[in-house]
Amino acid sequence: MSDQQDFTIVGKAIPLKDATDKVTGRLKFSGDIRVPDMVHGKILHSPHPHARITVIDIRRAESLPGVLGIVTHQDAPAWEWENCWHNYGGRILDDKVRFVGDEVAAVAAESVEIAEAALELIDVEYEILEPTFDPIEALDPDAPQVRAEGNARPPTEVVWGDIDEGAEMSDVIVESSMAFDSQAYAPIGRNACTAQWDGDRVTVWTCTQTPSEMRDAIARGLGVPVSNVRVISQPCGSSFGLWWIGSLQLITVLLARKIGKAVQISLDQEECFATVKRRHLERSTGRLGAKRDGSVTFIDLEHVHDNGGYGLKPDVGFLTVDLWGAGPNGRFIDRGVSTNLVTAGCMRGVGDVTMGAFVERLLDMAAVEIDMDPLEFRLKNHIRAGDPLRAMEGETLDQMDHASLPDGWPELGKLDGEALSDCLIRGAEAFGWNEKWTDWGKPSAVDGPKRRAVGVATGVHSCGTEDEYPVSALVRVHSDGSATLHCSMGRQGQGSETTQAQIAAEALCISVDRLRVEAGDTDACPPSHGAIASNTSYRTGFATWDAALDAKQQILDTAAMQLGGSAPDDLDMRDGVVFSPSDPTVSLTLEEIMSTYRPDSMTPPMILGRTSTPMPPSMMYARYFAAHFVEVEVDVDTGEIQLLDYVATQDSGTVLNAKVLENQVIGGAILGAGFALTERLAFEPDTGKILNPGFLDYKVMRAPDFPIDPGVLFGDSHDPVGAFGAKSGGEAPTTAPIPAISQAVYNAIGVWLDIPMTPERVLEALGKI
Amino acid sequence: MTIEVSLRVNGLDHTVEIPPHETLGQVLNGRLGLNGVRLSCEEGECGACTVLVDGEAINSCLMLAVQAGNRDILTIEGLGTPENLHPIQQAFVDEHGFQCSFCTPGFVLSSKALLEETPHPEAAEIAAELSGHICRCGTYPNIIRAVQRAAEELAEEATNE
Repeated sequence: MSDQQDFTIVGKAIPLKDATDKVTGRLKFSGDIRVPDMVHGKILHSPHPHARITVIDIRRAESLPGVLGIVTHQDAPAWEWENCWHNYGGRILDDKVRFVGDEVAAVAAESVEIAEAALELIDVEYEILEPTFDPIEALDPDAPQVRAEGNARPPTEVVWGDIDEGAEMSDVIVESSMAFDSQAYAPIGRNACTAQWDGDRVTVWTCTQTPSEMRDAIARGLGVPVSNVRVISQPCGSSFGLWWIGSLQLITVLLARKIGKAVQISLDQEECFATVKRRHLERSTGRLGAKRDGSVTFIDLEHVHDNGGYGLKPDVGFLTVDLWGAGPNGRFIDRGVSTNLVTAGCMRGVGDVTMGAFVERLLDMAAVEIDMDPLEFRLKNHIRAGDPLRAMEGETLDQMDHASLPDGWPELGKLDGEALSDCLIRGAEAFGWNEKWTDWGKPSAVDGPKRRAVGVATGVHSCGTEDEYPVSALVRVHSDGSATLHCSMGRQGQGSETTQAQIAAEALCISVDRLRVEAGDTDACPPSHGAIASNTSYRTGFATWDAALDAKQQILDTAAMQLGGSAPDDLDMRDGVVFSPSDPTVSLTLEEIMSTYRPDSMTPPMILGRTSTPMPPSMMYARYFAAHFVEVEVDVDTGEIQLLDYVATQDSGTVLNAKVLENQVIGGAILGAGFALTERLAFEPDTGKILNPGFLDYKVMRAPDFPIDPGVLFGDSHDPVGAFGAKSGGEAPTTAPIPAISQAVYNAIGVWLDIPMTPERVLEALGKI
Repeated sequence: MTIEVSLRVNGLDHTVEIPPHETLGQVLNGRLGLNGVRLSCEEGECGACTVLVDGEAINSCLMLAVQAGNRDILTIEGLGTPENLHPIQQAFVDEHGFQCSFCTPGFVLSSKALLEETPHPEAAEIAAELSGHICRCGTYPNIIRAVQRAAEELAEEATNE
């Protein structure tokens, strides 16, 4: 791997490509889109958690002046999620509602006000069904069944070694359980969808992290050719997985087709919070054994997550297994279960945020028993490069053609590389761990009711889940030597247009200012997975890199031809100029090359780089890691927890742009810390209705709630496959804060808490309320 | 029923016929097309719709448009242009004081009000003064650095004048 300082563009903390639009407020979000003759839609949501629609009468609503059309389940009788998208199941507009807020109908009207008034005039009769809300109760076969195939998904199991043998060789065995409330995506922006049909072709403006997948879902849902669907993804305001694929877009497209006009449905804050999706409610129980020398002997963990009304996930991910899977014996079981709560789905750090926190808790409890420093315990046990990835053993791995992978690429099923020890050691130095650490359960300082203590924890995530979707990109070089990168990843805001541009410009040897990125238009971009599951820097980056290298090779071939007989291998490029290392007289600018007609066709050259190298399945080998350090102060009178100091370290391979990655790391830490301390959706006990669907009652972190100058350090590693050695960055930093803060709270006040660790939970645990 | 309201926005006079209950934010965004006035919570919790009214940072979702009649309103559209960014905007660019940027206009305008009142705020003071704003992406440390950098820049400009 070439050294990072050899790069001219990669590694530079340049401003975001769209920074000027962002600070001037010119950036258009999905709700800002205006299409000529566009009308407005509103959605009717179910007031019941579980009911069958026996009658739906739209006649009164239709007769309201200004109403242009209404869709109900009768307009989409065979519209199944399974046919559109893999993460949800059931009918998109059904005659059965499964949570308060489920979609019942949608109205198009000349104004939002008329559409809202029409919703009141839709007469719906419901046969009320018994609901189920608690994930454990819903597992019972006698519980009300939310879905036709039953509530419980088949368990997903990862087993290695022998638990009983592990137990026998243990000096200590700890046992615990942990409950997690549901975190809201709590988007600061809103989403809207605008759909316009032209004959049998539809154009959709909306915010999605996965434009290609959205296009496919719409095409499959409506039974129209993929070529007839164009999705133009608009910028999101903080998405974290919320704006992936959803009912909003499918319903808008259906409504627009029915009325024959362009329709926009814009969700309000309550709809964004309470009717789209949320993080799963999760419950963990388990045991962990260790020897006196600090080596883990076994982990035995059972996990349950609720999928809400339409989620289908059999498991929330087993990447946590990878982090601690170096131990000789283990068993992880996860079960998904349907409930009559709003659909649950993948939110930033899915699975690792929760299961990871529980595994770290078991580790801490064992470390308490053998009285070992948590830093030392982690350094002793974390997975190393070359260790087997336990969750990846099995059929898919066996089917892969391992021999065909290029030399130097990682062995599938084993961790490719890591710098977690480096992150832990350097982070500890920066934080002053050795000076601040006192002992388990002992605060480092006591001042009246205030107890200070520190904590350290690690986190992990995969660099991308394939979900049977490829990544690809195109690089077009224009007549003046400027270039466009086409890669479908949406515009989530995390800086991926900038980092992809840095990859492409570095590979193409042109200035990053001469390269534009088209990330949202499916008519312009080749199909690619999109900005989910930490795909972008790693997998999309690989596709971009490959396409840009292809374009560069085409440029060198063209230049060689223009130079009348030079071999392309004798040429190279720098700053948009082709030169020969062996012949100083050779110098052609990209603009000169692109404006010189080919003698065989009398046309300018065509340079179109494309991804042609298939990427090996990154789930099989690629992980990135976080190690976080925190100092907390707990007030035992009020139960409040303050974060006083924070150091976040991360191993993301080569750093593409330090400021972009820093925002990902600290943004992830703040999202995780928010879940650790305050963020919880409150469900009404009898209905499952979300009682806090807005920022007034759902408390997210603000500037004074997190240390104002946190430390950020990056591990020294370079991935053997990723573009210029880069891995991804956005999700692992969300996973480490909960266990780090939870450990620090234990050290301050001697209790282990469920998540979030609200003041009420602190005071309850201390026996004060 | 509608009423006529005269608004002075970014130095230009506008007259709008509106229902009396319309908020300043709804008028600026919905009627005048100023998309930089970002409507999110519409209950004064997130700060995204912040504008300056006579120099004071106001949640435009909590002020009726009629209350802003004949007062000087500044939205992000009136602060700097792409070719000539205001020093606060430039500092947000340089320090990466945002990711998705939905909240950015509000943070920038409140920072302007803050720096006019307190030209050299401490980091903790900036954090406290901006606590009416939510950056859900969590870029607060870089926002605070941006405001500090802007303060230095503005102080230098003032010295040179």
